[in-house]
Amino acid sequence: MRKASEKFWNLIPHMTPEKLYEILEKYARSRGWQLNKDKDFVFELLKGLIKNEERYGYRSCPCRLASGDKKTDADIICPCLYSVEDIKEYGRCYCGLYVTKEYNEGKIKSNVVPERRKK
Amino acid sequence: MHKRVRLYSLSTCPVCKKVKEFLKNNSVEYDLIEVDTLDSGEQWLAMKELKKINHLETFPTVVVETAVVGFDEESLRKILELNTSYDT
Repeated sequence: MRKASEKFWNLIPHMTPEKLYEILEKYARSRGWQLNKDKDFVFELLKGLIKNEERYGYRSCPCRLASGDKKTDADIICPCLYSVEDIKEYGRCYCGLYVTKEYNEGKIKSNVVPERRKK
Repeated sequence: MHKRVRLYSLSTCPVCKKVKEFLKNNSVEYDLIEVDTLDSGEQWLAMKELKKINHLETFPTVVVETAVVGFDEESLRKILELNTSYDT
């Protein structure tokens, strides 16, 4: 007998990086952000998000190690809790998916964004 | 001096991928620890080791270990970034 959760997941159309790109681009626009103009990089991130969704059931940040517990990882579910501050300060979020217009125009130097998450 | 390079990485992280490409393009041999693909016990051990050198436990982290064999003062000063006797 199939588990109820399997049945549920089968009802959801398979997410692809292309579909997710469309969704997140709209989301970014609604927040006044943009997706990183480096599409190859963005698609790697999207594949990571999809992989995490398949593994854990939620889209946790592909650049952070998730615990598998949704409550514990709530702060790193994309867009992470730290993204607003990071985008404001560095022009990009921690993983570099969401950026400002200025960042995409090359007006902000690309730096490593320090981790705000407390261990 | 003997060197050993280790990369702590996540299979989902594109920046980790960039580091892998950099090391490959520069013909640097390295041990890859793809933390998210390890089982829970191995993952716990890997994170414990990573924390010793990077308390934020972020990815990618490249660790370059250098072994200095014997009392090689010049190498020790260089690797420990100590003043050399001829500095002053």
